[in-house]
Amino acid sequence: MENFKKNIKDNFEDFYSQNTSSDVLNNFRKNSFASLNSLGLPSLKDEDWRFTDLNDFYKSTFKHRIQDNKKFDSALIPESLNFSDVTFVYLYNGKLSHFDSTENVKIEDLESYVSSLDSNEFEEIINGHSEKNKDFTFEMNSSFLKDGVYIEVEKNIKLKKPIVIINYYDSEASFVCHRNVINFQDLSKGQIVEYTFSIDDISFLSNKATCFLLGNSTNVEHLSVDESNKSSYILSNLKISQKKDSNFTTDTILTGGKLYRNNVHPVLNGEGSNSNILGLYLSKDNQHMDNYMFVEHIKPNCDSRQLYKGILKDTSKGVFHGRILVHNEAQKTDAKQTNRNLLLSEKAQVDTKPQLEIYADDVKCTHGATTGQIDNEALYYLRARGINLEDAKLIMIRSFTEELLEFISSNFILDLHKSFVEKWFLNSQLAKSE
Amino acid sequence: MLEIIDLHANIEDKEILKGLTLKINKGEVHSIMGPNGSGKSTLASILAGKEDYEITKGDILFNGESIMEMAPEERAQEGIFLAFQYPIEIPGVTNSYFLREALNSIRKSKGDKPLKPVEFVKIAKEKIKDLKMDESLLNRSLNEGFSGGEKKRNEILQMSILNPCMSILDETDSGLDIDALQIVANGVNANRGDDKSFLVITHYQRLLNYIVPDFVHVLIEGRIVKSGDKSLALELESKGYSWLEN
Repeated sequence: MENFKKNIKDNFEDFYSQNTSSDVLNNFRKNSFASLNSLGLPSLKDEDWRFTDLNDFYKSTFKHRIQDNKKFDSALIPESLNFSDVTFVYLYNGKLSHFDSTENVKIEDLESYVSSLDSNEFEEIINGHSEKNKDFTFEMNSSFLKDGVYIEVEKNIKLKKPIVIINYYDSEASFVCHRNVINFQDLSKGQIVEYTFSIDDISFLSNKATCFLLGNSTNVEHLSVDESNKSSYILSNLKISQKKDSNFTTDTILTGGKLYRNNVHPVLNGEGSNSNILGLYLSKDNQHMDNYMFVEHIKPNCDSRQLYKGILKDTSKGVFHGRILVHNEAQKTDAKQTNRNLLLSEKAQVDTKPQLEIYADDVKCTHGATTGQIDNEALYYLRARGINLEDAKLIMIRSFTEELLEFISSNFILDLHKSFVEKWFLNSQLAKSE
Repeated sequence: MLEIIDLHANIEDKEILKGLTLKINKGEVHSIMGPNGSGKSTLASILAGKEDYEITKGDILFNGESIMEMAPEERAQEGIFLAFQYPIEIPGVTNSYFLREALNSIRKSKGDKPLKPVEFVKIAKEKIKDLKMDESLLNRSLNEGFSGGEKKRNEILQMSILNPCMSILDETDSGLDIDALQIVANGVNANRGDDKSFLVITHYQRLLNYIVPDFVHVLIEGRIVKSGDKSLALELESKGYSWLEN
């Protein structure tokens, strides 16, 4: 742990001295690093990290990525994303490489955008997310705030084309830190896809964050797929700040990483807003995927639906920590949390933990979790109709994921969701699992 | 077509079938009646290939070949069909997808080309109409939220789409009202033919008014204790089973 602490400190000092920016940004970095230090690094003794052992990770050493201006080769993206009618934004090792321009949407390198902000604007756009739930992964991301993209959709605009952000890593032993800030102004609407992948056989640390700012009466659907290689460490944050009457659906598909921490933090900060938080963690070999949900209801009359599902194979491990916080002002909150897990091996393991903190008296808050294996009676039924064992298993596994689709209204996202899930099924030889 | 020879079977060390012998020829309809716990459903499950049973003695021949080592799907592909007493609900799998997968698996095993969705739906819709069911069932999840009667009719629908040569009906009549019973019976009768055989397992004689059997057998404590024609069913209905028990 000491080794890792020093590693981060050295990286920060290099970074801080070489990257002078606006005073606002410099101070933010410095304060975030101070906050990171005072938080300390988590261990199994921390309630929020009790199912994820970081000791192996702490032994690694990473070098904060040296900036270069390599252009991302768009031929690298998988066929399933080969669309002509979308707006592409390419990040290469966290840094904005290039992008398609599109009407009524501002797309800009994060640092250059942020440097132009005065302290009030900065507070609203960047720091608004940092107030609550201090967590080392996000403080670290704030300390190194520089790379990433800022996207702003103008007021009243309905995006004609989805925005697809490609995130690609290819640098061995690198520490890549980047943040995407996506700002939907009042009454705007659109779809955002983030696709993260890497070359094989390199180990790296990605400390990424995506922060949504959703204005009044916005309507946004988001899909995040992470297929980073299975030697990588990913500390990811997704934060959403929702204003009045905003509707948000996020769907996460995780197949990558050796160790994955997936923090999701929607804040229902405007009356009448609504958040669907969907996820599918698909793990195999010795992957470890820790999903930490923190759904925060601040204003009254908001709904949240969490549906997270895990399919775990081999000796992989999963964690679902579902925290819901209902503040005292948030009357008539309707919050529902569901976690379901399908274990495909005797050695796969999942820990699931709900945590409800309710300070308002007129709320509806439910949670439920299940963990099981493929139902043998159902398998027998399918086989008795002539369906081979392998196909019958695949039908059962596929049916397990089906419930998520009901929440997705965009066909574009629906088709992508299906194709990435099928890809994992195909690559994982599911039918041959014990 | 189906020959069961001196079959002994255990579940968790308890002997359920104690030497059951039965021969069903092509085109014949046999009925097995018997009290609760006599082994009727065990027999049905064993024929379909369920793996929870230990066969300690005996053999089952289908078209002259032993099927003892065959997986459930292989038996289904050979033409054995079991209409379940308690059909399983599978959320997230539509009837349409399930039935097409099943039919195409069977077709594939015979070397036939798989049916395209459009071709399949056409066949399925005809059969659904015959069984007086609603077409919307194709898009519903398999048996999920179905009433008892709907589930049983769905079993018969599967049977008529998969077109097996040996159908085993495991208490398909239980839980059906008289109208549903007639619909199910009509569905079965429509599938009868010179090359199709049936084994109808039931508690009650009632169903056999509609599906008239060639032979009736009484199963008590894992053995067939009496066989006869359809009049035996009527006799059982009036006298019960106790006169046949030791």
